[in-house]
Amino acid sequence: MFATSRIGALAQRVRPTAASRTRLLPALPPIAALLPDGGLRRGTVVRCTGSGASSLAMAVAAGPSAAGSWCGTVGLDELGVLAAAGYGLDLERLVVVRAAPAEWAVATGVLLDGVDLVVLAPPRHVKHAAAQALAARVRDRGAVVLVVEDRPVFPAELELAVEAARWYGLAEGAGRLQSRRVTVVACGRGSAVRPVRQELWLPAATGKVAAA
Amino acid sequence: MTARPDAGLPRLLLVECPGLEVPDGASGASGASGDERLRRFGRVVEALSSVCPWVDAVRPGVCTLPIKGPTRYFGTEEAVLAQVAETVAAALDASLVGAASGAAGPTRGVPGAASGAASGAAGPTRGAAGEAGAAGPTRGPTRGVPGEAGEVRLGVAEGVFAAALAARAGSVVPAGGTVEFLAPWPVGVLGDPELSDVLVRLGLSTLGRFAAVPAADVLARFGASGARGHRVARGLESELPGYRVAGMGARLVAVLGRALALQDRQPGFWGGASAADERAGEVLTALQRRLGVEAVTVPVLEGGRGPADRCRLVPWSPAAASREPRTARRKVPPDPPWPGRLPPPAPARVTAGEHPVEVTDAAGAPVGVTARGLLTGEPVRLSVAGGPWTPATAWSAPWPVEERWWSRARRRVARLQVLTVDGTAWLLVTERGRWRVEAVYD
Repeated sequence: MFATSRIGALAQRVRPTAASRTRLLPALPPIAALLPDGGLRRGTVVRCTGSGASSLAMAVAAGPSAAGSWCGTVGLDELGVLAAAGYGLDLERLVVVRAAPAEWAVATGVLLDGVDLVVLAPPRHVKHAAAQALAARVRDRGAVVLVVEDRPVFPAELELAVEAARWYGLAEGAGRLQSRRVTVVACGRGSAVRPVRQELWLPAATGKVAAA
Repeated sequence: MTARPDAGLPRLLLVECPGLEVPDGASGASGASGDERLRRFGRVVEALSSVCPWVDAVRPGVCTLPIKGPTRYFGTEEAVLAQVAETVAAALDASLVGAASGAAGPTRGVPGAASGAASGAAGPTRGAAGEAGAAGPTRGPTRGVPGEAGEVRLGVAEGVFAAALAARAGSVVPAGGTVEFLAPWPVGVLGDPELSDVLVRLGLSTLGRFAAVPAADVLARFGASGARGHRVARGLESELPGYRVAGMGARLVAVLGRALALQDRQPGFWGGASAADERAGEVLTALQRRLGVEAVTVPVLEGGRGPADRCRLVPWSPAAASREPRTARRKVPPDPPWPGRLPPPAPARVTAGEHPVEVTDAAGAPVGVTARGLLTGEPVRLSVAGGPWTPATAWSAPWPVEERWWSRARRRVARLQVLTVDGTAWLLVTERGRWRVEAVYD
């Protein structure tokens, strides 16, 4: 039962976790390549920007969700739940908060007490102080907020920008949308200051995210 | 919300080695003695891995192992405790020899300050201890091991917090008895003086009295950290935040210079799925009080052809969440025969409200769909909600659908995927000659 070989095998399995420097939420492998720690550092804000940013946010959220974390969205009233399921979000642990634009901060702040990850599409004209206050709350709670925004308002540790996107499968009067190839550039602070580029299928023909 | 005592918390044997804890920040600055203590603790953990491969180094000087597996192996819990006590004693002796033969000397006489979750409390209050005795949660003191700075303490209970108190009391709490065992302890053991002051003033001086307060009231009055303490008191959550020291596995590997077969769990892991669900449920209920019931929704997938038909967002309901069928409802249903259903991938944004679209051919004439499901022209540009005209670069053949053909309210609609020059992919739908945006492949 406690054969040495088995303990050795366990050690192999445990070591990557044991080596992690901080408390991380897991990411799917194609996304992990973009993250300086290979996972989402708790207590941080990550900005998703560019055309396809909401898909990217879903693909990022899919990692923690698949690992059992609750995820919430604020300001994404039009979230395509089928697409979210396709990217790998567990719908059992997904909550979509439809708050009035003025209530985004309350909704997000309260939600952070109960879920590990919030995808936030803030209204236009968020005050700088409100964004700072939210970031402080995220740090305090040890959660992760993925903010989908074009103008950088929130103090993000990491920015994931979709730089080039091209759909495949559709012609003039024929075919159908099958997959989209994107270039995502990750740029952050500290150890992530050097941008990292990754070509992704977002989504691949399966509906999931995949390395291109 | 109904109380579920001991909701899946594992029964743990907790080992506490007084004198081997490392105060916060000591490992870096104060150097050798902190590292030496950590190294000795690492040897204890390493030795215990031979009893059970699932040793969890919670914080310096404290580790746990699930008691169930080793009990199957060693026969009785008594035998496991004896084995653990012997193993720890041997590891501490060996590590003392190691320390003596090495150059590093000044590890002796480390003050065995009380560590841990239950800071400030040596045991349950006297009267309460009587209650505990009446409830019969203890089965006599466990074996102690003479250690350098006091006895190594062992305790068994469900969850890390309760097991730490059990170690302090030298108790083996029988399975299912953890809530009763916790009840007589003063609220001070939650390690939050501000919270316990208020609780005592409210007459809630013990964990048992605190546990009897409804969860929603605790959340409203004391916020998330109070709610966490409340769940711990009810035996629903394994440990308090801040008790576990992150990255213990890596630190022990670093001081020992070799790999360890041990768990390095994320804080909160032992709470398990049910505790996470409960925490989310409480917060969603609180959010509904703030924003209204309709504002907090969960997805339900159903049969249907278009993205809007296939998914519905319904208000979150704790009652619905605790009933079984939710699982079935919220799984993606197996593809039933829905002729005309859109093929995957699904669009990332399903538009709410009306977004009328004008679609024209090269001559500027509106494009429609014939009764036979063909386009009347090539859709070369479109304008959404009266906005600027954008050239289309690619489009699909239409998917004609006759919806609700069984009823008088039947509708003939057709869907069309269009890619515009700016790289946006649209899902348009036409009905009675009018186009609108149904979804965007954002």
